[in-house]
Amino acid sequence: MASEAKKETTSSPEKALSEIKSNFIDSNTILVQRTLRAGQKIHFNGNVVILGDVNPGAEVVAAGNIIVMGNVRGVVHAGAEGNTLAMVMAFRLQPIQLRIANHITRPPDEEEMPGSYPEVAHLKDGVVTIEAFSTCGER
Amino acid sequence: MGEVIVVTSGKGGVGKTTTTANLGVGLAALGHKVALIDADIGLRNLDVLLGLENRIVYDLTDVTGGRCRLKQALIKDKHCEGLHLLPASQTKDKTAVSQEEMKKLCQDMAQEFEYVIIDCPAGIEQGFRNAIAGANKAIVVTTPEVAAVRDADRIIGLLEAAELRNPKLVINRFRYKMVQQKDMMSIEDIIDILAVDLLGVVPEDEQVVVSTNKGESVIQDERSRSGQAFRNIVRRIKGEAIPLMNLNQSGMLNKLRRIIGLR
Repeated sequence: MASEAKKETTSSPEKALSEIKSNFIDSNTILVQRTLRAGQKIHFNGNVVILGDVNPGAEVVAAGNIIVMGNVRGVVHAGAEGNTLAMVMAFRLQPIQLRIANHITRPPDEEEMPGSYPEVAHLKDGVVTIEAFSTCGER
Repeated sequence: MGEVIVVTSGKGGVGKTTTTANLGVGLAALGHKVALIDADIGLRNLDVLLGLENRIVYDLTDVTGGRCRLKQALIKDKHCEGLHLLPASQTKDKTAVSQEEMKKLCQDMAQEFEYVIIDCPAGIEQGFRNAIAGANKAIVVTTPEVAAVRDADRIIGLLEAAELRNPKLVINRFRYKMVQQKDMMSIEDIIDILAVDLLGVVPEDEQVVVSTNKGESVIQDERSRSGQAFRNIVRRIKGEAIPLMNLNQSGMLNKLRRIIGLR
């Protein structure tokens, strides 16, 4: 899925990413300096940055973007108040469920090889799309 | 002041009570003065595992309620010098004790014993909160199952919230063969999620059931593999650096095969 997205040469992904970038600049951000364990929940009206993992059974709900400097294995919900430009970024994205605005997705039932690289999930044409996160090129 | 260690897990049936009994017997066998507290009020089991059921006169709620002295309620183990049990009440429930009472009890017992080990009930409600109230160290027991690891993760979060940091992990009922066939979570998978220090891995062992039913402890069985695992854990609690035992049951056989060139 990720490689497909990278191959696209149309301007739309670039535009989408620049929109994400501008959407990013928001002072309303909290930094969570620990791993969220099962049963722990973060609800925040802005962006959430987590220095740790989001374990199975944990939940992050943010009105803005969610960035996890670790593994996401729990439930993440970005743009919880309807922001369709919100995105979720993680070093390793393996959520039980991923929600952006009012879109709810889950990984396919058949086991996929999880990517061992950072990925970003955002809405593209009304579909939650997961792409490899790269610091050069598209930005 | 002795150490007060709570053995907990969240999920039931993973081996909290078995672990508590074996660690108690193991520490006592090394000459330490050990007390076990059964905090599972209403569903006491620890006395049965130790074979002390018929000696109970007073229990934990009698001590906290002031109906008897601590000395009167403590039962000496029949096999092991230096091991004592404070049994739980069978007729009361978890609300019969408060967190303050447990704290006080643990403090009193830590004066007298080198190790006080608390057998925590399953769940995260009052019984759990009582059991951890007086502890200054925690051991989390889990099995290589998704649900057990999930509950252990929740428990570790709750322990951290209660200022019980750096709990140690015991992985119980581990089956090497199933892990090799990728039918069971590996040690690495579990540590990857829980991110805590590993205290030991106890292999699945039918002998545990046999000795449990007889009111004996598997740790005293020199030939038992799970007993060896518990003996290693006891030494790690004492601060010794013991490497993990070879969990591959046919390890020697495989080695032999390799030597003679069958592999």
